[in-house]
Amino acid sequence: MLRMLRDSAADFASLDAVRVRRLRGAARGFERSVWQEMARMGWLGVLIPEDHGGLGLKPGAAAIIAEQLGRALYPEPYSASAVAATLALLHGDNSALKQRMLPQLAEGNVIAALAWQDERGGLDIDQCAVKARVQGKALILDGSSRFVATPEADAFIVAARSAQDLELHWIARDAPGLACEAELRADGSASARLNFTAVVISADTRVASAATAREALQLAIDHAMLAASAELLGLMDCALAMTLDYLRTRVQFGKPIGGNQALQHRAVDMYIQKELTRATLGAAVAAMDNPDCAPQRRSAAASSAKARASQAALAICKEALQMHGAIGYTDEYDLGLYFNRALVLSAWLGNAGAHRSRYATLADAI
Amino acid sequence: MKYGVEQERDWNALTDGAFRDIVRAEVEAHHPSELRYPPRRLRWAENRSWYLRMAAKGWIAPGWPREYGGMGLSPTKLLIFLEEMERWGIARFQDHGILMVGPILMRFGTEAQRRRYLPPILACEEIWCQGYSEPNAGSDLASLRTEARREGDQFVINGQKTWTTLAHDSSHMIVLARTDKTAKKQSGISFLLLDLKTAGITVRPIRDIAGHDEFCEVFFDNVRTPASNLVGELNQGWSVAKSQLGFERIHIGSPKLPEYGLQVLQSVARARGVQGDPLFRDRVAQLQLDVAHLGDIYGHFAAIVGRGEALGPEVSLLKIWATETFQRIADLIIETAGDCGGLAGKVQMGDGRIEVLAPFYKARPTSIYGGSNEIQRNILARQVLNLPG
Repeated sequence: MLRMLRDSAADFASLDAVRVRRLRGAARGFERSVWQEMARMGWLGVLIPEDHGGLGLKPGAAAIIAEQLGRALYPEPYSASAVAATLALLHGDNSALKQRMLPQLAEGNVIAALAWQDERGGLDIDQCAVKARVQGKALILDGSSRFVATPEADAFIVAARSAQDLELHWIARDAPGLACEAELRADGSASARLNFTAVVISADTRVASAATAREALQLAIDHAMLAASAELLGLMDCALAMTLDYLRTRVQFGKPIGGNQALQHRAVDMYIQKELTRATLGAAVAAMDNPDCAPQRRSAAASSAKARASQAALAICKEALQMHGAIGYTDEYDLGLYFNRALVLSAWLGNAGAHRSRYATLADAI
Repeated sequence: MKYGVEQERDWNALTDGAFRDIVRAEVEAHHPSELRYPPRRLRWAENRSWYLRMAAKGWIAPGWPREYGGMGLSPTKLLIFLEEMERWGIARFQDHGILMVGPILMRFGTEAQRRRYLPPILACEEIWCQGYSEPNAGSDLASLRTEARREGDQFVINGQKTWTTLAHDSSHMIVLARTDKTAKKQSGISFLLLDLKTAGITVRPIRDIAGHDEFCEVFFDNVRTPASNLVGELNQGWSVAKSQLGFERIHIGSPKLPEYGLQVLQSVARARGVQGDPLFRDRVAQLQLDVAHLGDIYGHFAAIVGRGEALGPEVSLLKIWATETFQRIADLIIETAGDCGGLAGKVQMGDGRIEVLAPFYKARPTSIYGGSNEIQRNILARQVLNLPG
């Protein structure tokens, strides 16, 4: 099954650089038609149980798809919606909402994104800057959230602090009082900054009560980190392959530049970083797919993968650019597309430094 | 022949302090504040008025001798002048005319060439770009294929240049072209001056990965330039160009960009509240020392230039250290910026807005242009350390 998934993803997801360039900085940063196509392939529902319209696979299946999407630089918010938001809903405690929304997510009719970070960002789920207060029978949200994967989501799953504890709420994009501002990212995609001004919500759309919210949010983020790491693996593999081709074919001083031992050694170092990423990602998938994996171990595995992937992707892309010389710095050459996506994905959900420090804290605690 | 405006006084007769005060007062009073510390290379339309003012004052060529219209500054005074420009965050313009063409014409040009070309350079009426690199002649510059065929009293140029910085802001170009295809590599190249308005020239800007268009491709289709625009001897253009490469390296080796990087790093660190973190302080201190020591060794090479002596191959180390230090600083900036490290343009951080990625994008190509750092290491290994080729 997983092999089939990988093959179908690899067949489907080849780099369409014209499309990737066209969607940069555009009002629409990705294509709903492609999202629908991904739904038909079953990818959006890989983590959704079969009785809710999905394939019910283990979380590692999403990483397989994410790697292929990373290779092809898909701007569609797969890791954000089909992994992060989907898992948050799935692991919450609102079965009626799951009944209603999980099939919609699987079918690609609804795109959702998690909103949990504050203005400063960071990996602590307690940073939440949205407050929920009770007013009569209603619940009111105030505050803000930043670094939300896409301003084009149809709905946001928002972490909010209530009198009890952290809760998760499903909020439609057009909810009165919700303002959504796009921030341009280095690859031409956008992330969202949400402002909540007396947004009225009901208990029906509470994704997770205080009893489950923390764990649902943490689990969703951990798996999204894993998926982002897989995207980074896919793109670093392509950036390295492009570079090796260039080293073989670019002739200066009468021979291919790849004939220079100094460059060969650096290419080998890039390869080592890529293989370390692949190995740590595989180990993290194995750990996280195990249903008995304790939450802290799961988080440590995710950080271990994201730290390596973020660091390796940037290192490989920088070396790739250096070895290409000026051509690599031009927008018309595809390497820059990988380079800019690496900048975005390595910063999203925690950069290498943030994950090293999170890993150290978790490893001490285990 | 008078080349530029008269100098107000003999600057070298002033004390260093008095001279510094005069320069500082000038820039603080007249430099447009919105142009300070630009995150990208400014276009001529943006900094034109400032440099026209400098030209009118006679301050456009601080390092040129007075007989050619420069300020005639001594090495110490020149350093003070440049320090004050950098302290105020004043960006360079497309100054190849001042930094390369002028000095080359003073050394290799004819009297007629100097009379024709130096005054408009000093007046900023003619802006020069450098036509060296080609698609297949990057690191291996001497393999260039743009050719110049002699026809009567003209050269006819055909071929293509690329990575020409700000060609679309320039009126003239210095061109390295092959004039003898039978000779071996370096020995068949000539150094030509070219008016970019000449028929047959196409300039196409190249967009870079940061979204800017600072460099261009330039195509030549039977472009005619007078034979009197040959600088130096026929087929000796390589030596003419090479005489200035040391100056290019010392320029790229200036601590200016790393210092700008440190400033951005400090702003990002303040916004993130991490200045007090001992590990962070150690990393910043390391980079501060890297930049301070760059300044020391830059001073060493600047003094050689100031004494009018030739720079040896050792100057390559300056370019390597300056550019790679800048890159390490840029790396720490995006690491420190955390979630903001993937955002484009001016990013809200704390109370301010910071171009977090600007130093990173600026730093990447510095190890590529002006002779890649790989080439610089080859030069040091072969010519300084005498290792076998």
